[in-house]
Amino acid sequence: MASQPTNAAITRRGFIGLTGGVAGAALLAACGSGGSGSNSNSLKFWNMPWGNTAFNPLDKKITLAYKPTGGMAKATYQEIQWANFTQTFSSAVASNTGPAVSSGGGTQAFQFESQGKIAYADNLLDSWKKNGIYDDFLPGLLDAMKVKKGYAAVPYNLDMRVLWYNKTLMQEAGAEVPTDWQSYMNACAALKKKGIYGYGTGAGAGAFTGGHILVSWMINNGGGLFDADQKPNCVTKENIEAINFVLELVKKKYVDPASPTYTSANVQSQWKAKKFGMGFDTGGLADNVGGAVGPDLLVGTPLTGPSGKKGMLYFPNNIMMYKNTPSQKDSEAFLTYYFKNMTPLWTKSTGIGLPPLKSITQTKEFQASANNVKIINEWQPIAHTWAAPGGEALFLNVTQVDGTPAMDTFTQSILGGHTDAKSALTTLQNTIKSKMTS
Amino acid sequence: MSTNSVASRLQKARKGVGVAGPGPAARKPASRRKWRLSARAWTLIAFAVPSIVLLLLINLYPVIYAGIQSVRNGTLISAGSFVGFSNYRHILSDPTFWHSALFTVIFTVTGVFGSWLVGLGLAVLLRTRIPLAGLFKVLLLLPWIVPVVVSATSWNWLVATPQSPLPKLTHALGMGDVLFLANPTWAKITVCVFKVWISFPFMMMMMSSALASVDNTVYEAAKVDGASSWQAFSQITMPLISRSTYISWILMTIFCVNDFPTIFLLTGGGPVNSTTSLVVLAYRTVFQDFQTGPGVAIAFVMTLVLVVISVVLYRQIRKANVE
Repeated sequence: MASQPTNAAITRRGFIGLTGGVAGAALLAACGSGGSGSNSNSLKFWNMPWGNTAFNPLDKKITLAYKPTGGMAKATYQEIQWANFTQTFSSAVASNTGPAVSSGGGTQAFQFESQGKIAYADNLLDSWKKNGIYDDFLPGLLDAMKVKKGYAAVPYNLDMRVLWYNKTLMQEAGAEVPTDWQSYMNACAALKKKGIYGYGTGAGAGAFTGGHILVSWMINNGGGLFDADQKPNCVTKENIEAINFVLELVKKKYVDPASPTYTSANVQSQWKAKKFGMGFDTGGLADNVGGAVGPDLLVGTPLTGPSGKKGMLYFPNNIMMYKNTPSQKDSEAFLTYYFKNMTPLWTKSTGIGLPPLKSITQTKEFQASANNVKIINEWQPIAHTWAAPGGEALFLNVTQVDGTPAMDTFTQSILGGHTDAKSALTTLQNTIKSKMTS
Repeated sequence: MSTNSVASRLQKARKGVGVAGPGPAARKPASRRKWRLSARAWTLIAFAVPSIVLLLLINLYPVIYAGIQSVRNGTLISAGSFVGFSNYRHILSDPTFWHSALFTVIFTVTGVFGSWLVGLGLAVLLRTRIPLAGLFKVLLLLPWIVPVVVSATSWNWLVATPQSPLPKLTHALGMGDVLFLANPTWAKITVCVFKVWISFPFMMMMMSSALASVDNTVYEAAKVDGASSWQAFSQITMPLISRSTYISWILMTIFCVNDFPTIFLLTGGGPVNSTTSLVVLAYRTVFQDFQTGPGVAIAFVMTLVLVVISVVLYRQIRKANVE
């Protein structure tokens, strides 16, 4: 039976009108500004899972313990997963629902800076010159954050690439710990006699370390990918020499032939299986491998290249401030608090990368790890960013090489050994250029 | 009743006209009716409108927005400026695009027909009376049920390093050290086989249900006529399950062309782009090169090709229906 109009309190016309009104209101609400980096009395801090499961709870505790004075905004804490983090930040920042302060990808600050979304840290750093934090940074770190208009971010934790070796396997093979390229080649030859690879690396799905190490060889020889004008300059004498050296390692079968598609897990399993006796990896390799092999893994000394230079690629992960904030002073006050109180993140075994502050490297907990101390003392001073050899300050176009298809293809072609140095570098150069202009 | 009369009535029935004569609707042509909705209809429409608007927003808006993005030079956080069809020109003149398109074809053809052959074979086999058939069915469904992340991790363990089981096996068989993922040719083969492995249970289910709909008396009649097993299969089974076959091909083609995780989790598109399909290329262009325009343009070209393939196969379904 069809419904009939009644004398009910709400007529059909009224009901339709009400429905339309509610729907319209909902749509208008959905189209609203959607919030900001913070509301009037809170400041959004987004941080990544930089370490093990202990990291974020402790980080959150430190953040929420912030007690601002003078009516300044309190901080809220949000953990952002690495999976799809680019999309997470991009959509949030584009819709003005992002954080006021965050960490993130190593080049993220420079991307957002180019879009006018970043609040420069110059005033913050000026204030830190007065309270001692500025002078506490390890050498060269702050320089990496400087772009034309100011400091895009402040260094937070360091992701280093260093030489690792398995002391037991090296002893069994009668190999000397290398100090330069020739002694590295000799150590590889000694390991090969035992069926062990001397250049343990991987460049498979999500494993960008293989590419990092190739660029590290270039930097070690005084080369790199960008010139002083921040333009790609890949086909240089230094780079060709470095890549030829790697191709020789591949040709002599010192490199695992399956490396081009090794994931990080595959690389670690090869270290565990004692198939890798030497190789370059992140500063946390020994902890990641763990088990019986982990304690055998030691950090080597930086190699001296044929040009007499030392050098390695590193990633100064950073914390950035956004323009979308209750106030810039709120963001700066929170960051000052955070940097004064973040030491436990390194002293409580949270698994975060290396600290940016000298004071943290001096704590007894940090000093207890011989590998970490060696990395800070010997590798950090000679480390360079993607901007090498032209400079240290990062910039937007390094995003064209950091974990990109161009770099993956370059790395896999070199580790596969089916190319020559000049052709591969020329292809890389052309691809970077085309991506920069398109 | 004359034959003509029966044929005429059947024809009327096909046209939707009652056998006894034209119904009331036919007396008053629709075009002459005054198109007026009752109050009840307006109420129903009012209830439906929010859902329709929501559906349009959810489905249509992203497509239109993506179309706009494909003609702009934006990034993930900026819309960029209008560049016309230069993104399309750019991708169509890029050798990587055509290399990826070729691999997409290989991956799709292998995925569709490989999984169909295996699925059909198993469906036929499971029709016969074998002990523990139910258990076998469940076990055979596992590759489809298990999340692809888990499957990819298992396959990585199976083939990635020289110490993995399959490389060890090939070494023991005297085939040398086969690099299942690091050699471009072997990587293609491995990815395609992986796709067949995770897809055949779907085909098996589709074919099982299609085979179940075939009447056994047809086979008995064919047997009486002296048809061999192969003749019965090729002349009776295949035509009778052709509709389901075409539907499963359409679905699997869409699954294969749009399949991102299978490839990305196993090889990431490498080595040296050898297993980069169009969908992986689109992802890498947008999210690793941060070039939204060309990435979305790749996705649009993919969609266009998929629509063409689907239309061709759909026509085959209609043809099968007519026959």
